[in-house]
Amino acid sequence: MKIISFANQKGGVGKTTTAVTLAHGLALSGRRVLLVDMDPQGHVALSLGFEKTPGLYELICEKKTLQSLVVSARDNLDVLPGDKHTEAVKREINFSTLKNSTFLESISSAEYDAVLLDMAPSLDALHAACLIVSNWVIIPTRMDSLSVDGVQEVIKTLGGFSRRGHVFEGYALLPTFFDRSTRETYLQFRDLATAFGGRMWPPIPQDTRVREAPAFGRTLWEYSPNSVSMRGLLENQKRVGGYRQILQKLMEILDD
Amino acid sequence: MTKKNLTRRVSIDPDVVGLLEVMERRQIESQLPRREREKKSRERAKISARRERRATYDLPPLVRNKMMELSGQLSIPASQLVALALTRFLSDYDSGKIDLSIYKQPSRSPRYDWNLELSRVDEFKKIIK
Repeated sequence: MKIISFANQKGGVGKTTTAVTLAHGLALSGRRVLLVDMDPQGHVALSLGFEKTPGLYELICEKKTLQSLVVSARDNLDVLPGDKHTEAVKREINFSTLKNSTFLESISSAEYDAVLLDMAPSLDALHAACLIVSNWVIIPTRMDSLSVDGVQEVIKTLGGFSRRGHVFEGYALLPTFFDRSTRETYLQFRDLATAFGGRMWPPIPQDTRVREAPAFGRTLWEYSPNSVSMRGLLENQKRVGGYRQILQKLMEILDD
Repeated sequence: MTKKNLTRRVSIDPDVVGLLEVMERRQIESQLPRREREKKSRERAKISARRERRATYDLPPLVRNKMMELSGQLSIPASQLVALALTRFLSDYDSGKIDLSIYKQPSRSPRYDWNLELSRVDEFKKIIK
């Protein structure tokens, strides 16, 4: 079992969409997946078509069991929802308490092939503790300087954990809302690819369908499985990027 | 001394490299004067349109050479001669003028059931002569 976090300290970069799409993609491929909503906005639940509930809060602060709180969202896909109560977790519990809490243990020992953590755009004790238990961190980012600054912040944090002896299996940058026609996209993409080399993954193209799908409580696999964000950009008669290709990469990580 | 047959390790995802190259080319083109840009755009459209019409088939060298020879003699592009020949063949085949069964030989390929024995085709024999 592997724990994969989706993190960027900048909001609105596609963390939840990416986590939901990949979680459902893995589930459709036959993997048993738990998706945990770490964000007080609780948008994972809405994206999958059910109401937000304080699942994460009740797990950590009320010591309820994981099994009693998870919602079966789709075949093979369980969700531990969150809502504004998640904010209270940060006030009530500090880093060391969290690190030794049954919360992380229950996630780490859950019987799933993959646990995906959809992080909030912040780096408080709760998120730091979750990063520490992650095997892999995927950092979705728009191709603009503010989002890239968020990437740098996450990477600095990962570096800090590594210096203290924590070993991550890896991390990757995932360009999202990718609009290849603008100069800013090109410049940011080039600079990040130069700086991060193989850690830079092919992009998720800009796609209106991505904004529409949550309004219907459907994932992209259900709402528009052949849209450009799923299949990638067409370049020289070959598809590049898109969630289908990223799903393959994720499955390679799980099988590694 | 270090051997020169070393290959550089490519650490960037090949899809990212490919996409970067395309975007870089477009960025360079976008800096060109308008006329140059339009010319490049027309060239790209032409290449793209031709891609749809391209196909690769294995032909006996004799047939290929004969086609090139004819193209030279008549000053007509070989592609157009081949297109005409194939169109005629398809028309004759559809109207039953061509019976492929007399040329068929069982194939050992797991992909195909039959091969065509071209040496049995009268027209092919004429080309050889």
